[in-house]
Amino acid sequence: MIQLAKRVIRQTINDKRSVMLILVAPLLILTLVYFLLGDSDYVATVAIDRDAVAAPVITALEQQELNVVGLTAQEAEQAADYLQHNEDVDAVLRFSETSAMDITLYEPSTKGATAMSEIQKAMADLNPSAETTISYVYGTQDQSLFDSLGYVFLALFSFFFVFIISAMALVRERSRGTLERLMMTPIRRGEVIAGYTLGYSVFAIIQAVIIVLYAIFVLQLSNEGNIGWVLLPMVLLAVTAVSFGATISIFAGSELQVVQLIPFTIIPQVFFSGLIPLDLIPYHLGNLSYIMPIYYGAAAIKGIMVYGDGFTEIWGHLAGLTTYALVLYLINTQALKKFRKL
Amino acid sequence: MDIQLSHVKKSFGDTSVIKDVSFTIAAGEICCLLGPSGSGKTTLIRLMIGALPPDSGTIRFGDIEMPNRAILKRLGFMPQNDALYEDLSAHGNLKFFGGLYPIPKRTLDARIKEVLEMVELTGHSQKLVKNFSGGMKKRLSLAIAILHKPDILFLDEPTAGIDPVLRRKIWAQFQSLKAQGTTIIVSTHVMDEVVECDKGALLYNGRLIEYDTVNRLLDKTASGRIEELFFAASESEARP
Repeated sequence: MIQLAKRVIRQTINDKRSVMLILVAPLLILTLVYFLLGDSDYVATVAIDRDAVAAPVITALEQQELNVVGLTAQEAEQAADYLQHNEDVDAVLRFSETSAMDITLYEPSTKGATAMSEIQKAMADLNPSAETTISYVYGTQDQSLFDSLGYVFLALFSFFFVFIISAMALVRERSRGTLERLMMTPIRRGEVIAGYTLGYSVFAIIQAVIIVLYAIFVLQLSNEGNIGWVLLPMVLLAVTAVSFGATISIFAGSELQVVQLIPFTIIPQVFFSGLIPLDLIPYHLGNLSYIMPIYYGAAAIKGIMVYGDGFTEIWGHLAGLTTYALVLYLINTQALKKFRKL
Repeated sequence: MDIQLSHVKKSFGDTSVIKDVSFTIAAGEICCLLGPSGSGKTTLIRLMIGALPPDSGTIRFGDIEMPNRAILKRLGFMPQNDALYEDLSAHGNLKFFGGLYPIPKRTLDARIKEVLEMVELTGHSQKLVKNFSGGMKKRLSLAIAILHKPDILFLDEPTAGIDPVLRRKIWAQFQSLKAQGTTIIVSTHVMDEVVECDKGALLYNGRLIEYDTVNRLLDKTASGRIEELFFAASESEARP
């Protein structure tokens, strides 16, 4: 078993692309995600008819982080038309005869939402009794999307890259005939999968440490809990990924087919990983998350990083993940019977 | 340790690949499995080493019935495709496969050196296998098969795609392994190679059409060419 683990390590190191995929690719993508979901200093533009709106309202609007532009009464009348021709304007604000607010937005988007929230702030300034204070049990209001969803990516990366590399290595082992040759030595069937898992675990641990340190100390991902506890579900996820990859390799005839199976194996897991709140998914489909290994890992990581949980709170998820890995391990050991009954 | 096959049958789906094959390979002999491609040579080898269970019939190594895990360390197997780890060096491949057998580390290191010399790869031992030529891969594959000094060596088309000079060298190695007491079962579709062997087992469409000493097989032919026996078999099969 140790022999096999050593070989997996040596083989992976000799293949520069695999090393890059495990160690560099997660950092690259995480950095991209940081910029995509991170703090945005976008300033929305709101158009008003300065003649039709009361001066205090204009002043209140101008005091917010907003660009206020003027438009003519006729343009205000045809707000939709105006927005179509002026793409840099996010919202047109009008007041009806009963002095109710009438806001026209270009499309439902984050830009529109930014404009809305600034307008609401301006209105609250005018009328202090309408002011609302929002507080959160976990997290803060000015948290970026990266802060609130970053943990999902830690889980995804721990799983995905190790899955790809181990599934491909095992498919190669089948198609090149080395697995058959391996099974003609006195090695036990269980040792083959265990050896593979052990070998990739070494990379998984290095990967987890690098990702976590990078996310928390370089990208400043907010973390309420203990970094050590974050590593545990990440490494467990990677261990499950090796077994998952081994199982998928049974159904794949070539490395290309591993890629073809990604829509069935990885993409559903992305949706149920916590990226979309599970309670919002209709028809109780959220329950599907219980058959997806990434869910258990992501839930544990969320517990630690967002809620500041320790082992006593996350052990259930870790147990789920471990069960998953064990079941897959048994399936894989049985599948090797194709090569040798004993 | 004799190898006895008794009424071995194997089919994949509806196609029957091995049809009731019985014969005994005596210990210490070189037995040649001869037949056109698709005749069932590889399947027969995989049945013998226990990689496939037979549908019916038995395969025995001495008193031990296959499949059996304990016997595996006494078998050597060189598959038809190279079955090497391309991302490892020649030495890395040998070290890995050798490590799976209960061989002390120092003995293994000495033995790796020895087999590398035997297959003339000493100078290339640190090179990655992906940079090897076809012939070098074959030789490394052979080196892995004989690394643990097996009592019985199974070679599936070991000389396919190899030039005549190297082929002669490889056969010389088989003869020296035989001299050390190794039983060798070698499959080939090159009819000329049969003269190197003690016994010839002629397979045709999954049936064992002849099994005898090579000299007697050659006596059965008019021209001294083994092909004749296959032509006869194909004619008798064509007749209803």
